[in-house]
Amino acid sequence: MGPGIIEIFKLYYPIFLKGAVGTLKYAAIAVGFGSILGTIIGFIHLSKNPVLKAVASLYSTVIRGTPLLVQMYIGYYFLPLAIPALNALSREHCVVLTMILNSSAYVSEIIRGGIGSVDIGQTEAARSLGMSAGHTMTRIVLPQALKAILPSLGNEYVSMIKETSLAGTFALYELTYTKTLLANKYLIWQPLFIMAIIYLIMTVVLSGLVRLLERRLSAGDRK
Amino acid sequence: MTGNNSEVLIKVVDLHKSFGKLDVLKGVNTEIHRGEVVSLMGPSGGGKSTFLRCLNLLEKPEKGSVFFEGEDITQIKKQKELDKIRQKIGMVFQQFNVFPHLTAMDNITITMTLEKKIPKEQAEKTAMELLEKVGIPDKANEYPGKLSGGQKQRLAIVRAMAMEPDVMLFDEPTSALDPEMVKEVLMVIKQLADSGMTCVIVTHEMGFIKEVSDRILFIDEGTILEEGTPEEIFNNPKSERVKDFLGKVLY
Repeated sequence: MGPGIIEIFKLYYPIFLKGAVGTLKYAAIAVGFGSILGTIIGFIHLSKNPVLKAVASLYSTVIRGTPLLVQMYIGYYFLPLAIPALNALSREHCVVLTMILNSSAYVSEIIRGGIGSVDIGQTEAARSLGMSAGHTMTRIVLPQALKAILPSLGNEYVSMIKETSLAGTFALYELTYTKTLLANKYLIWQPLFIMAIIYLIMTVVLSGLVRLLERRLSAGDRK
Repeated sequence: MTGNNSEVLIKVVDLHKSFGKLDVLKGVNTEIHRGEVVSLMGPSGGGKSTFLRCLNLLEKPEKGSVFFEGEDITQIKKQKELDKIRQKIGMVFQQFNVFPHLTAMDNITITMTLEKKIPKEQAEKTAMELLEKVGIPDKANEYPGKLSGGQKQRLAIVRAMAMEPDVMLFDEPTSALDPEMVKEVLMVIKQLADSGMTCVIVTHEMGFIKEVSDRILFIDEGTILEEGTPEEIFNNPKSERVKDFLGKVLY
């Protein structure tokens, strides 16, 4: 069996910690930029234009209906061939781009759902007072929608932490990639458990923070 | 009471509205005069609320016109112009629709400051006077979550009043209230009506309709089936449909 988990961690902890930081970083990039793009797509989906609506709907259906790993292979091998401009990016960046696009589809649904969760009566009341459509969105609907949106974005980040493990397949330095790094030292099983424990700590802690945020936001209702 | 020879504020011509295959309004014609209090009566699903919601274009009619102060507002293309018209048409909803993330004060002032560019201090002064008028000045800094149903509806009424409308539309303003809160809201509406505000009211409060209305429109199956003074409608209804309805709702 060789040395135990604790000895291996003590010996190689910088490698694991660097991997964990990589995981948090890639997940943050994916959800961060994915949120910007996803907000735009979500609003397009909510727009009245039937063509734009259909495009946004197709985008989110296709991306959410196919595995991220397949999308990453397409991003890694095919995108640079299909779109020559992407040759300026490294293959690594193409994988990151894929993660951003993937996250944006999920975020667009979060935005759509969040805005849809606000009672239509709020919009009607604002418009009946003579408030413009823009102000109705920014001052009345969005502040209320954020209560639903922010915790969901937090959960999206937690899921993305796990999803980024696929990026190791393409030699992006994240937590799962440490398995590959340590394989040449004939360490097979110990890194797997160390990785799992680190993932678990990250997701449990962050999920806890999301729940805290959720409770804070809903406390506003009672005030 | 206002005579029919006073200025026409709202004129509705051949108004049609349908939702999918369901024709809700099938050609409504009427005039509402400045200072008049008009109540809409009739069975549920007859088109009362839809008619009311067409007056400020919350529902877009398929056919027909709504003239407000002489202008056909169904022909307005610019959103900004329509917003300006809506500022002059206050509306109160069954579900109150106060803004839960804003204090009572901000509920009133937000549209004044954003759309009418009234300075914040002045808007707050007006808001405070209005809150005093309806008996809830002590709730100015509370969020709606801390208000009772009756207080929320009174807030919704003064929120609309703050825009200085020429007419107020009430869409079943007391239907979602606990029974003991109905009166406080009706008193506020009565006060408004007595002050000369033009009011169009959809309600099932028959006693209130009788007392406050200058004219009653009985709406059923998408048309005005009968209209008249409360005296005429309650004591001498012409159509069997109205007689039947009153027989069922009056205890």
